[in-house]
Amino acid sequence: MLFTWFMLTGLILLFAPQDLTSKCQLAFVHVFRWPLSIGSELALTAQTRQVLTDAPSRSETQYLNYIANLEETLDKQRKKFEKLYKLYNTYVWEGTDFVLADVIPVTVDGARNELTISCRKTKGLVKDQFVLGDECIIGTISDIFPQISKARVALVTDPASKIQVKIAGLTGLKYIMKGNGNNLAKVEMVKNEVKVGRNVFALEKPGFLDAPMVVGRVSECKRNQKYPALWDITVVPACDVEQLEDVAVIIVNPQK
Amino acid sequence: MRWLRFALLVLAVTVLQKGLLARWSSKPDLLLVLLVFFAIYCNTSEAIISSFTIGFAADLVGSPIPMGPQMISFGLFGTLLAYLNRVIAIKRMPFQALAIFVTSILTGLLTHLLAYITGEPIPANIYRVVFVTSLYSSIVGPFLFLPIAWWMRIKTNRFRR
Repeated sequence: MLFTWFMLTGLILLFAPQDLTSKCQLAFVHVFRWPLSIGSELALTAQTRQVLTDAPSRSETQYLNYIANLEETLDKQRKKFEKLYKLYNTYVWEGTDFVLADVIPVTVDGARNELTISCRKTKGLVKDQFVLGDECIIGTISDIFPQISKARVALVTDPASKIQVKIAGLTGLKYIMKGNGNNLAKVEMVKNEVKVGRNVFALEKPGFLDAPMVVGRVSECKRNQKYPALWDITVVPACDVEQLEDVAVIIVNPQK
Repeated sequence: MRWLRFALLVLAVTVLQKGLLARWSSKPDLLLVLLVFFAIYCNTSEAIISSFTIGFAADLVGSPIPMGPQMISFGLFGTLLAYLNRVIAIKRMPFQALAIFVTSILTGLLTHLLAYITGEPIPANIYRVVFVTSLYSSIVGPFLFLPIAWWMRIKTNRFRR
């Protein structure tokens, strides 16, 4: 009888609306945020010693991404000016707001890639808004919990993530980048071979992103197994998500 | 069964699992080790209650997997293990390691299957993740039984002839 009652409870939880059960999970994280943050800080300290000497520092990575974004933004604006024959008077981020948020422990265990953020104001946050970390796109908002000032971010490497991207060097071509778990993403069936190290940019999306922004770099390029004339590209995120302490959510045309 | 000590233990292990261990890509499942311990060393009704409770705790920190799958899988296999222990005593360390390994694999697969039913995608490397977690848990688990037994004031009689 005991087993039956507990199993019934489990089934009720299983088929209950995920909005409701997610609140329980976040409430636990919220209540125990202090011991959880201590544990994650200790783990970060332990991992810091293992960083390779030739790996770029976080500020260097930030500057590289910033430069790549500026170049892409500049190129886009030049083409717009030439096409329309008008004075360039639109700064790309005009009318855009940013919401800063702190990062609560990342779940990057191979199964799913996401993180929970704590923001003082959730007003203006909606699903699918892009999230910036170290001047690059790291993911999109997947859930918002205004009662506890938290939101969930699905990283670009999450298996459920699909983002429209373009690859540096392949002008005019758009692809879908899908998360592959394990801190990687894939772009399949690319027409041309791509050099390792090339930047991958998230494409502009009306209402969410005004200009392409770097989202990752090509780490591997091999032929598609089913269609050998095409190429499959593996993309690594442009920043180390596990090192992030804060992020910024891009809100285009915020309502004042 | 000292339920207050049990609650504190489960809470501490849950926070440890979600906090300190969360950033390691390959890690043992300490909650599963607890599950096997209580399934082996408690009577059947206590084992059922503790299995489902530990499963609920695993659900609380199992995000992004929704709540429910781990409570069901932990409860089911914890109960089965408790009944099995009535027939085959699992007192020696190698057998305990084997029990942890098999239970971990079965709960891991059932959890992801139930999560898939609710709409969560199954990742490509699920088998590797489940296997590695089970392996680490089975290696670490038997050594944690003594400190858990000390905390819960349960006699394990491991070294009794």
